Amino acid sequence: MTKATTRRFFFAGTALFTLVFIGLTLHTHSTIARRTHSDRLDERVVRGLHVWARYNCENCHTLLGEGAYYAPDLTEIVAQRGKGYLAAFLANPAAFYSEARDRRLMPTLGLSEPEIADVLEFLTWVDGIDSNGWPPRPILVAGAAPRGLPGIETRVDAERPGDRGQALFNGAGACAGCHAVAPGVRLVGPSLSGIGITAAERVADASYGGTATAAEGYLRESILEPSRFLAPGSNYATPDGRSYMPDHYPKVLAAGQVDDLVAYLVTLR
Amino acid sequence: MLAYRSQRIAYAYFAAALVLFSLQLAFGFLALAKYLGPDPLLDVLNFATAKAIHTNLLLVWLLTGFMGSAYYLVPEESRVEIYSERLAWMQLALWLFAGVTTVVGYLFGITEGRKFLEMPLVLKFGVVIVMLIFLFNVAMTIRRAGRFTTTEGVLLGGLAGAALLFLPGLIPFDNYTLDRFYRWWVVHLWVEGVWELIMGGLLAFLLIRLSGADREVLEKWLYVIVGLTFLSGILGTGHHYYWIGTPRYWLWVGGFFSALEPLAFLGMAIYAYTIIGRSGLAHPNSIALHWTLGSAIFSAIGAGILGFAHTWPQVNQWTHGTHITTMHGHMAFFGAYAMIVFAMISYALPALTGSSDAERQTRLGLAAFWLMIGGMFGMTMALAAAGITQTYLERILGLGYLETQQKIQVHYLMWLGTAVIFAAGAGAYVWDFVRAGAPRAEPGPAT
Repeated sequence: MTKATTRRFFFAGTALFTLVFIGLTLHTHSTIARRTHSDRLDERVVRGLHVWARYNCENCHTLLGEGAYYAPDLTEIVAQRGKGYLAAFLANPAAFYSEARDRRLMPTLGLSEPEIADVLEFLTWVDGIDSNGWPPRPILVAGAAPRGLPGIETRVDAERPGDRGQALFNGAGACAGCHAVAPGVRLVGPSLSGIGITAAERVADASYGGTATAAEGYLRESILEPSRFLAPGSNYATPDGRSYMPDHYPKVLAAGQVDDLVAYLVTLR
Repeated sequence: MLAYRSQRIAYAYFAAALVLFSLQLAFGFLALAKYLGPDPLLDVLNFATAKAIHTNLLLVWLLTGFMGSAYYLVPEESRVEIYSERLAWMQLALWLFAGVTTVVGYLFGITEGRKFLEMPLVLKFGVVIVMLIFLFNVAMTIRRAGRFTTTEGVLLGGLAGAALLFLPGLIPFDNYTLDRFYRWWVVHLWVEGVWELIMGGLLAFLLIRLSGADREVLEKWLYVIVGLTFLSGILGTGHHYYWIGTPRYWLWVGGFFSALEPLAFLGMAIYAYTIIGRSGLAHPNSIALHWTLGSAIFSAIGAGILGFAHTWPQVNQWTHGTHITTMHGHMAFFGAYAMIVFAMISYALPALTGSSDAERQTRLGLAAFWLMIGGMFGMTMALAAAGITQTYLERILGLGYLETQQKIQVHYLMWLGTAVIFAAGAGAYVWDFVRAGAPRAEPGPAT
């Protein structure tokens, strides 16, 4: 083998793979509009991308796993937390997390209300991107969704509705990202420890203003219409009484899944 | 003694590179302290700013080192003085102005907010001008000489490629997926593409000088190595296209070709090991020998093997966005690029300061080598432990991000401890550079 041979290997190989790369790039371009739902990419989303960049968000956070590792991944954050909560959080992170407890805290960036609204539109749009199934399991900001290892994890196709509900609660439903089931542990929403008993008590109480007549109905109402009755406690709702809990569950959960969740939650006594 | 008077420009580039390197470490420690928390500077200089400065200084000092190395190498390879020393000085001044302005701007929150490419657009144009001045200056030098070696061709091809591939980073995109797609054209095709040419060129030059081996043989294999770089690295870009909204075939394309990326780095390690093995450690500048051989081996581990460890999509879906990347990133950049610049500086320093190679074989210089590679190896291990634990607890078992971070605090302490060892080595290196004395540039032999 001579230098002329290896030189040919270098130039021919480089030319070939450059051409293949450019070909794949052109094809990739033709798929981006569909894969990223560019019809939903309106000016608010674009402004939100600029907010994301201007405040240097990706030098702490990751988005689609890209960025820095000092703060949680935000790919599914709007689905997990809801815009109401996130807007309040972004305005004043210190009201929601404790630097003494967590060793770190998001700085108060002084985002304006329109900037917050735009960046949340952007994050909502990003979650709709077809990311080839990433992340394979929800990444939580805080708390724990004990899933077990593959093979021994709680299964969403279990026989008993309560078991299916538990799997949904900890897994795809990501309920565990905001609600602990351990007593006294507050994540974003209230702990659901003993919620089977609490729900029955609330329905019986004179201050209850919802439509449910039993614990099961109360739990169903809380999932589907979270603002109907607000659990006591601060930082659970906007000042005008809208719960921070996302109101999209009637859309994202099938009726059977709501039944399963209720069947699980009512057993927490 | 310098062979060509104009090679003295390299000293200024190397000195600037070492100042920026020291600053990079300072901001690295600042960012690391924030991992340990709490952060008294939260609203003054937050993590994002400290980290952006840390990574940007890395890119700037490495490129400064590469350009300084080129100004040292090109006269010797082409056997002629640099076309214009004045242009080289102007280039350095403009380059440092753009770099310092960028970093100061970050302190005031002026950023484009794209990791590694945070520099404001107008200053990015400044960088393009700097690169054009540089390429013009070396092109004119070579044209005047009429002698152009493969070694310098590979080095300059790498630098020209870096300038060319910087351009996609200038285009704004409204679609985040496209923004990511082309950001990797800069970042990936730099560090896993054209920068490897820079490393290969510098490595070949150092091996020719340090071993006295036959240039024809070395340059023949250099083509194989850089051929393997592009064979694997171009389509290997696909390992950044798994999860950002690009089609599913990138999982196969990126997985397969990026799995081949270690070949080029392993090639460089075998190359250096064989050549030095044949010649023996006879060259009196043993510090340069250490860095040269060390770079080839460390890059094979850090860039090659540790990159391979998480590049396969079935693995990457769990490790993506964890400290596994931090682990790989630190050792890869250090092994492949920082160490080759240190090798060039150590090789050139005796000539630049008018001392003999043997005089520059200091204990301090050797201590710097062992402390830095020992420290970096330790940092890599600490980050590996942090990354594996994080992947397992957060991604697989489903513990929250914040709880997981609490669990890996002990690894951050180890990261800090090993970083202190690394910094001690860096301090020794810089002090050894200062101690070598001011540059002296007696005219070389008539040309």
